Amino acid sequence: MSITRLLVPAAIALAAGGVFAASVGSSTVLSLLTQATIYAIFATGLGVLLRQNGMVSFGHATFFGTAGYVVGILLQTKAMPAEAAMLIAVLGIAFCAFLLGLVVVRVPGIAFGMLTLAVGQMFFLTASRSRGLTGGADGMNIDWPSTLFGAEVSALLKPGPMFALCWSALVLILLALALLLRSRFGAVTEAVRDNEERARFIGIRTLVPRALIFALSAAVTAVGGVLASLNTGFVSPETLHWSVSGVALMMVVVGGTRALWGPALGAIVYFLVKDVLGDYANHWMAIFGIGLIVVIVFAPHGISGALLRLASGRAAAKSGAGTAPLPLTDRSHHE
Amino acid sequence: MSDYVLQAQDVAIHYGGVKAVDGVDMTLERGQIRGLIGPNGAGKSTVIDAITGRRRLTRGKVLLQGEDVTALGPTERRQRGLSRSFQRTSIFAQMPVCKQVELAAYKMGVSDPGADAEDVLRELTLDRMGDVIAADLGYGEQRRLDLALALVGSPSVLLLDEPMAGLSVKESHDLAHHLKALAGRRNVSVLLVEHDMDVVFGISDVITVFELGRVIASGDPAAVRADPRVREAYLGSTA
Repeated sequence: MSITRLLVPAAIALAAGGVFAASVGSSTVLSLLTQATIYAIFATGLGVLLRQNGMVSFGHATFFGTAGYVVGILLQTKAMPAEAAMLIAVLGIAFCAFLLGLVVVRVPGIAFGMLTLAVGQMFFLTASRSRGLTGGADGMNIDWPSTLFGAEVSALLKPGPMFALCWSALVLILLALALLLRSRFGAVTEAVRDNEERARFIGIRTLVPRALIFALSAAVTAVGGVLASLNTGFVSPETLHWSVSGVALMMVVVGGTRALWGPALGAIVYFLVKDVLGDYANHWMAIFGIGLIVVIVFAPHGISGALLRLASGRAAAKSGAGTAPLPLTDRSHHE
Repeated sequence: MSDYVLQAQDVAIHYGGVKAVDGVDMTLERGQIRGLIGPNGAGKSTVIDAITGRRRLTRGKVLLQGEDVTALGPTERRQRGLSRSFQRTSIFAQMPVCKQVELAAYKMGVSDPGADAEDVLRELTLDRMGDVIAADLGYGEQRRLDLALALVGSPSVLLLDEPMAGLSVKESHDLAHHLKALAGRRNVSVLLVEHDMDVVFGISDVITVFELGRVIASGDPAAVRADPRVREAYLGSTA
């Protein structure tokens, strides 16, 4: 695949997002889509872990929520500009995730999921109970300065610009991931995912690549968390809760990981369905649950998998590169 | 001593009280093909695992080109030229054929991984399958891909654990002759575990016979075939 085939769609997506933000007048629609886009970034991070490592995390809300808390706490200290705080949040989380990854990615299958769940709940409880630092269960307001990257924050927080910002972040993240994963590093992680033992026997050290993917996944999710904290100006322990990780996982399953953009599509579908079915208030999750079962049974590669198959026909789908079937349905390659 | 590319000295692997391999000495000269035979459970695959670093030794040493590699893991041994294939096909199921062989070549520090991968795939008649996802290959092709992953990057020693497992008689004989030619051409020494006696006696320069984790005979094929202990233990009256 030539680079043009990545750059052109990315440029079109960026332009379309800008036009959309400028032309749609309804602030309800824009803020719904802004939220969907933020979760799309979250799900993209989670999807990278599944796609490149074949691992399912039940604790990714940790990286999402902690990013907001790190920004909030750093801004409270007034020790640095907000731009630096945002950068430190993402890079710091990536670094900590790498260290954590060196330990947890050694653990296979369900046990890995349980470990991530445990770590996640540990952060949830810590944030809930440290009233002095995080405001405890009430959460904390984030003191954003009046300007950010040279733009007025009040103007940035309007629905149109906010959507355009989050959308651009999503597109650039997807582009960066696509470029990174078509490199040798991408091939190494695919090999390790498919068959870790054989990877060792062709001379690959398998631990560091897996930990790097874990860190990359956390970093992308943390970008979503930083944007969420900018969008709402607030962060609470709820963003760390395991149920948030669960919702993100549903988005990944619905969207599928056959395409890099699958989880993001899953997130957007999730929010649209939630909005449309919102009239049935209490029951919409039950309807979504049935939809989830239908996807898993009839399209195990999610919506993106089904779309790819439609677009390129069976033959091309067979030779499509870098495909990770959901581990829910396929464990046979991990002997 | 340094004529040997591979030496196993007093190699033992015990599981609790079970002595899977118990004091095996074996050598491999440059360019040599050594066949390893013995009844099921004799410890042949365990010896391969011991030499390649898949299992830790209870006792003994493994030397590669004179260097003690006993303490090294499989990755480091592979980087020093010790390569293996697997009894149960072990490939990268979701990756295209060429991509995975090229990756293996790259990890071995080959200057032009693409060309080396292409070479090996051609030698194993997989060159037209380069873009196919490995999971979509036929069984025989997957066995050859397993071999390709071991052959790429010019290893000095190749350990083959039943490369013909599950192949038809014709397929295994073709592959056997192919292997012999390949080993000669690439100047690689081979340690071959195989159940098919015709194959082993047909292509090996020397043969080692295992029983209950020990070597009971070793030598050129004719001598081994004539050894009364071997006939009794393994070959039976049909040999």
